Amino acid sequence: MWKEIGGREAGQIRPNSFANRVKSHRLSTLQLSNYKEIVSPHKGSINSLQVDLTEERYLLSGASDSSVAVYDVQRATDYEGGGHIAKHRSVFVVDKQHEHGHKYAISSAIWYPVDTGLFVTGSYDHYVKVWDTNCTRVVMNFKMPGKVYRTAMSPLAASHMLIAAGTEDVQVRLCDIASGAISQTLSGHRDGIMTVEWSTSSEWILVTGGCDGAIRFWDIRRAGCFRVLDQSQSQLGRRPPLLKRKVSISKSLSAGQNSSVKPRAPQKKSANGNGVRQSSVGRIPAKGSVRQRLHPGMLSSQDRATAHYGAVTGLKVTENGMYLLSAGSDSRIRLWDVESGRNTLVNFETVRLQTSKPIQLATTQDPAVVFVPCMTAVKAFDIWSGKTCLTFRGHYEYVNCCCFSSQDQELYTGGNDRQILVWCPSRHISDGVDAGPMQDQDNWSD
Amino acid sequence: MNKDTNSDSSKPKKRRRDEEIEAESSSSDRTLSLEENLTFSDTLVALRIMRAQFPHIDKVSIRPFILQSQLYSSVNDRTQVDRELESLRRERVLRVFKLNTGQDDHAIMFLDDYLNQIECVVKRMEEKKQVNLEVFEWFQTHVLDSKLEPSVGHEELVSGSDCSLLSIVGKVKDEHISLLINAGILTRQLIDPDMYWFAIPNIGSVLKGLSQGRKEILSFLNRRKYKEMMLALLEKKHLRFSPLDMRFHLRDLIGSGHLKTIHTPTGLVVQISKD
Repeated sequence: MWKEIGGREAGQIRPNSFANRVKSHRLSTLQLSNYKEIVSPHKGSINSLQVDLTEERYLLSGASDSSVAVYDVQRATDYEGGGHIAKHRSVFVVDKQHEHGHKYAISSAIWYPVDTGLFVTGSYDHYVKVWDTNCTRVVMNFKMPGKVYRTAMSPLAASHMLIAAGTEDVQVRLCDIASGAISQTLSGHRDGIMTVEWSTSSEWILVTGGCDGAIRFWDIRRAGCFRVLDQSQSQLGRRPPLLKRKVSISKSLSAGQNSSVKPRAPQKKSANGNGVRQSSVGRIPAKGSVRQRLHPGMLSSQDRATAHYGAVTGLKVTENGMYLLSAGSDSRIRLWDVESGRNTLVNFETVRLQTSKPIQLATTQDPAVVFVPCMTAVKAFDIWSGKTCLTFRGHYEYVNCCCFSSQDQELYTGGNDRQILVWCPSRHISDGVDAGPMQDQDNWSD
Repeated sequence: MNKDTNSDSSKPKKRRRDEEIEAESSSSDRTLSLEENLTFSDTLVALRIMRAQFPHIDKVSIRPFILQSQLYSSVNDRTQVDRELESLRRERVLRVFKLNTGQDDHAIMFLDDYLNQIECVVKRMEEKKQVNLEVFEWFQTHVLDSKLEPSVGHEELVSGSDCSLLSIVGKVKDEHISLLINAGILTRQLIDPDMYWFAIPNIGSVLKGLSQGRKEILSFLNRRKYKEMMLALLEKKHLRFSPLDMRFHLRDLIGSGHLKTIHTPTGLVVQISKD
């Protein structure tokens, strides 16, 4: 460590690579923290965890007993064990007794991306609520047609304040905080939507994963989705090879496998699956036939490509916006190249993943690691090779969510056992600044 | 020693132990212990060796197939397996089929074997004097060539923007598709009424044996005190419910993560993995 600092001082190591080396070293020593603990007041399983995006100081958790709590993870509320163990109790808790609180389980609790003055919760009682943090009051209420599985707000948004809500209904709804109404609905999925994520490279692009196994990319300024990910469209490597791309595009067009915007030639089927089928290309649909006239942007709703052989239970866009990780109930995790829309065929060695609830993945950028809750453990995989780097076993029951704070390299995980566990880089005993006064004792003292 | 496990198994004679020298090359290598040959260096090598090691089943005539989980246990890097499989699939050397026996089960068959299998089925249908057998010709020449994925949509078969699918037969109707389904070459997808899976004909009893064999091995190991057993002893056991041999099942279960192997001073030990 000192050698690296000396190298940085002499200019042999660049600032970024120095920071990355320190971070990867700390990441490789992550273990259940023996000096930090979060005391969880929840009486139900923890479904959602998020550290705020501005300071990475406040952790927001949402649980199945309709309670939401906020913890300060940088300053402890009290100390135990002779000053060695820092306990972080909740700054405040909102539960069912609150006059406007949720009635059923909260599936998603996220901070307003700009500051910690607001947070948004989505619950199985069909409501999405926006809360004022300082007064702990509900500011806005949006009613959804079904159980809300996930809510998301874009961290890059400069011109809109939309909350994307994925529910058991087939449409994604965008709720506007500025106007208080549901401003848009995006149709295309054929079953409920379990995960919603905004792109980290554009404020207009939304990615959703549904129970039908499809992952769709939406540009909210247009109608319909512009891409549906297909697991059979793959590329052998991180990026597609430069020269071969043209060949593959023409091949895919001729084979009719093009998963992005379909050609405008009528390839339509009637809305009632087993009805009239059109047998040749180029025939303009007759007026008298039972056929749904679709807007050209909506043609992608007939694309039935699936990204997973089951429901898509988790989505995460990497911080540089170039790759997308998706976890499915077929116990597979896939890495997609966002630009080309292809499966990079990295095999993550997962045996089983939770299938009934959405899970929350976490990624770090420079050691390029993804943290995935796999049943009762959390596993860290190297993104490019798919090998397991670390396994975190500590929860007694299934883990639902994990959140990585890149500033401190700490991992927070929450599960069905109602606990939030903190995983920190190991600290040498001599580093402990909070060490209490050591008495004059040795091993044989009474 | 265990360093043999990583050697290229195309040179088995130099590295085998003394008592196995009398067994000749690939065709009758039941005496090659699984412990010596658990991993290979390359996917294609692994596929060929496992195809040669496919057990002979008496009642059913089935060409050798390999499960994807067997490949994962045989080659160290799973991403390399996926990518090599993808490039072999694109070169039309083999085909991948999705099976209905489990969550993520895929079977890999070399294209020649698959075409032979279809030929057997066609011959049997000819003996029963069915009509319209040219749909199988069309299927082999056109569909298999252009559709490399494990599934295919109804409209791609019937109409499609690709005219070559229509040209020979004229118009592929539902009766033709029913013939293909009866032969066992296409299967309907349960989730989506308009999509079909490509399937291997005559494989039903083998798949049943596969599920039962898996359950048998897992329950046998679960009943033991420490849920583990030496690999050398385990592979000599005979399975009651499955026509496939123990080595086939072990590779499959290790690759799908239900079992794990531990290196001990006395050899490899197979243990039920608790997740």
